Amino acid sequence: MARALGRFLQGLLAAGAVLLVGWAFVTVGARELGRLFSSDDRTEIVVMHWSGEGGQEEDAIVEAALQRFSAQNPAIRVRRINPGDAASFYTKLQTMMASGDPPDVFYVGSERIPSFVDLGLLLPLDDLLAADTQANVPDRLDLRGFFPSTVAAFRFDGEGSGRGALYGIPKDFTTVGFYWNKDLFARAGVQPPRDDWTWDDFIAAARQIGRLPDCTGAEFVTWPAMIRAYLMTDGLDIKGSSFETLRTGERAVFESLDRLRSWRHDERGALTSGKSKIASGSSVFLSGKVGMAGPFGRWVVPSYRKIPPPSQGGFAWDFAPMPRGTTSANIVLTVSWSISAQTAHPNESWRLVRFLAGEQTQRELATLGLAIPTIRSAAESPAFLDPTLPPENDAGYLRAAEIAQIVDWSPNPQFEALMGSRLDQGLKTADVPLPEAIANFERDWNAECTNPLKAAVLPAMPWKAIAIGSILLLAIGLCAWLLWLRSGSFTGREREEERAGYALASPWLIGFLLFMAFPVVMSLLLAFARWKGVSPLGQAAFTGFANFEQIFTADARFRTSIRVTLWYAVIAVPTGQLLALLAALLMNTKVRGIHLFRAAWYLPSVLAGVGVSVLWRWVFDSDHGLMNMALEPLLKPLGIMPPEWFGADAGLWGAPAFAIMSLWFIGGTMMVYLAGLQQVPADLLEAAAIDGAGPLRRFFSVTLPMLSPVILFNTIMAVISSFQVFTQSFVMTGGEPGDLTRFLVLYIFNQGFDFYEMGYASALAWILLVIVLSLTVVVLRTSNRWVHVEGGAK
Amino acid sequence: MAPVSLQSVSKVYANGVKAVDSVSLSIADGEFVVLVGPSGCGKSTTLRMIAGLEEISAGSLLVGGARMNDVPARNRNMAMVFQNYALYPHLDVRRNMAFGLERRRTHGSVIKAVLSPSYRAARAAEQQAIDTRVTAAAATLGIQSLLQRKPRELSGGQRQRVAVGRALVRDPVAFLFDEPLSNLDAKLRGEMRTELRLLHQRLRATMVYVTHDQEEAMSLADRLVVMKDGVVQQVGTPSEVYGHPANRFVAGFVGTPSMNFIQGSIEAAGVFRWGGGALQLPPTRWTGLSGWHGKPVELGIRPDQIRVGTGSCKGRVITVENYGDRMDVVIESGGRRITSRLPTASIREGSETTFEPMLDAAHLFDPSAAGATLA
Repeated sequence: MARALGRFLQGLLAAGAVLLVGWAFVTVGARELGRLFSSDDRTEIVVMHWSGEGGQEEDAIVEAALQRFSAQNPAIRVRRINPGDAASFYTKLQTMMASGDPPDVFYVGSERIPSFVDLGLLLPLDDLLAADTQANVPDRLDLRGFFPSTVAAFRFDGEGSGRGALYGIPKDFTTVGFYWNKDLFARAGVQPPRDDWTWDDFIAAARQIGRLPDCTGAEFVTWPAMIRAYLMTDGLDIKGSSFETLRTGERAVFESLDRLRSWRHDERGALTSGKSKIASGSSVFLSGKVGMAGPFGRWVVPSYRKIPPPSQGGFAWDFAPMPRGTTSANIVLTVSWSISAQTAHPNESWRLVRFLAGEQTQRELATLGLAIPTIRSAAESPAFLDPTLPPENDAGYLRAAEIAQIVDWSPNPQFEALMGSRLDQGLKTADVPLPEAIANFERDWNAECTNPLKAAVLPAMPWKAIAIGSILLLAIGLCAWLLWLRSGSFTGREREEERAGYALASPWLIGFLLFMAFPVVMSLLLAFARWKGVSPLGQAAFTGFANFEQIFTADARFRTSIRVTLWYAVIAVPTGQLLALLAALLMNTKVRGIHLFRAAWYLPSVLAGVGVSVLWRWVFDSDHGLMNMALEPLLKPLGIMPPEWFGADAGLWGAPAFAIMSLWFIGGTMMVYLAGLQQVPADLLEAAAIDGAGPLRRFFSVTLPMLSPVILFNTIMAVISSFQVFTQSFVMTGGEPGDLTRFLVLYIFNQGFDFYEMGYASALAWILLVIVLSLTVVVLRTSNRWVHVEGGAK
Repeated sequence: MAPVSLQSVSKVYANGVKAVDSVSLSIADGEFVVLVGPSGCGKSTTLRMIAGLEEISAGSLLVGGARMNDVPARNRNMAMVFQNYALYPHLDVRRNMAFGLERRRTHGSVIKAVLSPSYRAARAAEQQAIDTRVTAAAATLGIQSLLQRKPRELSGGQRQRVAVGRALVRDPVAFLFDEPLSNLDAKLRGEMRTELRLLHQRLRATMVYVTHDQEEAMSLADRLVVMKDGVVQQVGTPSEVYGHPANRFVAGFVGTPSMNFIQGSIEAAGVFRWGGGALQLPPTRWTGLSGWHGKPVELGIRPDQIRVGTGSCKGRVITVENYGDRMDVVIESGGRRITSRLPTASIREGSETTFEPMLDAAHLFDPSAAGATLA
């Protein structure tokens, strides 16, 4: 009965699974076919945006606006895509661009304009604007009504922002400043900041509040844009007339940066140390124990509005723009609606942009509190200036906008990445003296500027020849295979079986060829190319061995990532194996509830990588982390301080921290060892006992040799996975400080997806493959000395 | 070598199962004792308790007069041959045989050997002695040519010899064998039996041997211990156990083909009445059974004690198994099947025949579960 029921349930599940898969295919197929054969002759415009901080409300506002647009423009059908937050948005956008099928209209942050324009991805809008004026279109955009700096942010002339053609209509923006806790200011007896406050006022207030018990004066984030904003208040900047000429050598720039470093590291309590990975960023302010937090833009407001009023245990807060140094300054951070250079419908797309960037939509989006409308009249309306909601000083953002400048970025995304990671080592974690950190930045950026790969004029990748060659090769291979099949060595029956076998395996074979073999071959080809991952493949240039030459002769960051990865592997592989084996020995004992213990040991292995990484970031936090809280009482009597894992001591302790974290995941390895242990014949151990061997001798003379094939398997798997560390370092440190926790795979990711050097990344990936393969071969080669295999053949 | 003595030894598992129930047994120095019984009778458990591989739940184990209950296996200095040989698969034959000796050497420390030249010399001498003993044991068993091989390169019989050799090189207080021949084919089993017997004759060592094969037990043992359900049924020489079984179980277990059992009852004047008629028991068989008159008893008679073609009992031949030198004939009579073993004769299956049990050699058993021997 029970068996019949079991079978029925099994059948039901199987049928359900088949139906589900079938349904998925049918619906997608029907949709695509429907689109192909639809009698709808309207023009389809694809719009893509994100709604990260704005959440569902932003999603709904855009949707409603698009519906209004569709009603007004019956000839245009709009398809909307919202991948979620900004990071997912850019990933999807890049994938769509690379595939040659980008959306027509989409968000672009001003910081991405130089690189996107450099890649030829965006349509210049000046002609469309002029045509509107000429035709006197009723809802035409008048850029004079916009905050000028927001418009300037989307101009780019190939070298610098602020001039040249217009590549986007800013939809909203923010200026930056500090959010301040009114209650802490009152408690410390500090005057509230005014819009024209100075850095002296700022640090005096921070010091005063820092003296309150358990309080810190301010959180000062050192993001590249904010560091440049900070320098601008002293009339300075990182870049000179161009990005090739840095101003970091100027005494004034150094002094200004050193002042910030000194506030953070020479004093206690004025600024958060920045050593803590958790206690940084906008969320620190929510604790109510930090007097000020910034420089942040308007985007933190929705989350700060959730702070309860003082009567309910929260606190009152407000906004103050950037303090003055030798001058008043601020920056604009803005997002535009832009049009793809590849769009087939530029006029329809422009009509949509005009609508979405228009005043009505801007007013609606302003109610989210997330950003400021770029059209002055909308920004100065109650839609934005809402006196019923904090911050009180909404006008502060607008006053700052009058003096705000754009922070332009190099078309080479490495500038921002290098500036961030190198200067942070001097300013934030302080694991490197500031002059050295600056020198590192200058050295690495100069190396990047003089990178021969970037300057070289390269021939186009001979895709046509490669395609013809591959097809020829494939055809020859296929013929050879068919001939071999037809050769006399097979009987008719065998041939039939062979054919049936291939037919049955064909779904997998086709899947393998399409999804595994093809990308593998492509990445091999791309290793010899220079290709921006966001442009069509046709734009790839042939480099020959130049990628490899660059990697092995000039790429210091590659060498660092190899060092970090090896240092990790050297620690993680042996300790992981040892601990897993010891755990398996424990789990192999016969005690009550052993299944519970086994499950408990295995449990971490099934947890998701990102969540676990976030958890471990807390564990290794230098200031309040569990690890250091546990180590401190042990080490302090010896006069040793626990390491700042991802801070000043990251060079030595960063990789080991990840190795310690990896020990949390030994459950899978342990299970394999446990299975191996249970295969060790009991009578061998008994024979050894009778032969006079004690428990230790039995373990080393019998158990261990019998386990050696399992040890070999686990070791190889561990070596391979030790070279694949990505999620942890991506989530926990982003490779920082500097490159001290930048594992090879993370570096490959950075090159491919942050710097758009997909060819270079492919070359790195193949080097990784060769390294892993050689290590595996070495382990295998030595194995016949120590691995005992039952049953003969080795 | 030393005598081994079990005093009311019991084994009760955690789940309450009593595997061995108060076994008492004295094994003399140099004696070859075989524990025999059907599977699950507790014979292996008893052996493993002697070896120290199973804890003794109750009772005492004495070896050479010393109580060994709490001495771990490795310190009991016994040698054991396992059913599956239990050869270390990663070591060659020489290292397999030397393993036990190496564990017991007095100069075992490698570190001391590195530090002290005199220790190193002593260690080398010890190693030399071990090699000599291994070589000698291998010569005894005719496996000198196999010393460099790994177990997986050996045949079943060769592995068996190595397993014996591993026990042999040591100088244990007792040799323990746990069904060592059951994985061999019949012919090899026969050969090994002879060799083990010869080995015992030469070594005069205390040997405890476990088997479920009563023929093997009979052929090897100085003394047999027949066990059933954890309880010793009978201890005696093979002749004693065969000729004078303590109960119906022992009678049925020992001997091939099995003893015939015929249910019936005793009438006055020593007449045994059963479905096939009445049999007059000789006076030696029924004196002292006056209390059983009129009650059901079981008559046991070995197949070789039944003559066919003569006597008063009638039956029909249903099968004939001809072995060339002898034949086993199964006769159906009075609703029972009776096996007779006799020299070859011309008997056809299906033919009617007469037969006669030689009642001088018959046994009478209590028909209850205990099956005690009455006469």
